[in-house]
Amino acid sequence: MADDQSAIAKRLETQIDIILITAIVFAIAGATAFVMAVTMGDWEYWVDWKDRRFWPLVPIGMLMVIPAALSSTFWVKFRLPFAFTAIVLCYSAVRWLSTYLNFHIFGGFPISFVWPSVYIPMAILVDCSLLITRSVFLTGLTGAFLWGALIYPANWPMLAAFHEPINYNGEMLTAADLLGYEYIRTSLPEYIRVVERSILRTFGDAVTPLTAVFAGFLCTVVFYLSWIIGAIVNDHRRWLKKV
Amino acid sequence: MSTTTAELSVLNEEKTVAGAQRAGVNFTIYLSLLAGLIIVYSLHRLFLHANAHTVGLDYFEPEFQVWMNLFYVQIVVLPTLMAGIAYYLWRTRELNPDNVAPEVELSRYFSFIAWLSCYTLIVIFAGAVHGEADAAWHQVVIRDTDFTPTHVGLFYLLMPALIITGGGSYIFAKTRLPMHAKQHLLPLGVAIGGPILIMPNVGLNEWGHTFFYAEEMFGTPIHYGFAILGLALIALGGVVVHIVHRCKELVDIVSEREARQGV
Repeated sequence: MADDQSAIAKRLETQIDIILITAIVFAIAGATAFVMAVTMGDWEYWVDWKDRRFWPLVPIGMLMVIPAALSSTFWVKFRLPFAFTAIVLCYSAVRWLSTYLNFHIFGGFPISFVWPSVYIPMAILVDCSLLITRSVFLTGLTGAFLWGALIYPANWPMLAAFHEPINYNGEMLTAADLLGYEYIRTSLPEYIRVVERSILRTFGDAVTPLTAVFAGFLCTVVFYLSWIIGAIVNDHRRWLKKV
Repeated sequence: MSTTTAELSVLNEEKTVAGAQRAGVNFTIYLSLLAGLIIVYSLHRLFLHANAHTVGLDYFEPEFQVWMNLFYVQIVVLPTLMAGIAYYLWRTRELNPDNVAPEVELSRYFSFIAWLSCYTLIVIFAGAVHGEADAAWHQVVIRDTDFTPTHVGLFYLLMPALIITGGGSYIFAKTRLPMHAKQHLLPLGVAIGGPILIMPNVGLNEWGHTFFYAEEMFGTPIHYGFAILGLALIALGGVVVHIVHRCKELVDIVSEREARQGV
């Protein structure tokens, strides 16, 4: 009878797992894509927004919020150190679906102009940090820092060609800039493009490493804050008697 | 939508005598629900693709009536559906929540997860498939009208659908799950509150784009309020933990009974 009970329990638990994981996958994919779209969408959408000053800082900091908040539940409640990889994987799948359907097919932009950034390598690093150190504090110092610092090298194979300097009618600009001028976005004029805004625009020097280090520190802070918020919001023992 | 609501309510809802029937998920109904939603929203997306750039360019042109007809249908059907579902869930509520058999309660948790699955599936369509169609649309067709084809799908179809499925999840839990009968699970309230909480920002966005911000940069302060919809779903983690805890207890009881009765 004990064997029977065990088999029945296993069948029921497997069924619960299947439908619950389906709901979780839908939630993290849709929620992450939506939050990213309305907070830093343009840095993700357009290659000429993928600059060295804001793109390696703003999107990676924002993308930290949901994985870190849900990591607190995955890790503390279930001892599962793969929240970052799972969420970023779902997000990337939805982003590619949306990029192809909406920006390429519907909007008519070439894929080379609208490709999404790559985040999966950094997500694996954060999860591995948690798995190896088994410490939230150390994961914030190492994994979260690397998450912010490595976005540029992780995307460099795809991005390098677009940052080549071009002499265009006597003006120097990047290949990405030229694409942006050629594919006119009627609601996104040049004067609101938030790229490379600073006292000096240069093709060399220390712009990217400086941004990478700052992004690392920013992501460390966002990691801790999001973890704390996730732990508070996801306390399943919080019941209200009245609303 | 009609597929959703009709089938959600019957998902393993029979009040069976304890142990007389094997507990379990009815995957045929579960998958039919998700497939129904995917078909409805995919058809809407195909309609958008076929007609947005031809008869959807200007609200003031006569041919835009195609979109307004769709809009009128949606704003009549969806609130009616919402009221019908709420009424049905309330009329068929559990009158004796302290005396629900574990098998029935477990079946109701399966239905509850099905509600949440529908809610989160619509988040994907709202957040990416339709939401970013709106982003792409505004970059090739200047925003100059009160209604646009993408808004007809996003604001007047998907947002109400989110409220229906999110609110339905909450009412279902309150009216059928014993633990929820006399108290409110905070993470559930937060997780399904997102679509309602962004309503003020929908107004701000339309008002702002009309009066002071004609451009459509997506990551801009006028859009930040929308992020609440996605961020609220962080609280789904707490709902999942609650479901896992309670279902574990129920599975232990139900499996022991079924093994004893040889079902």
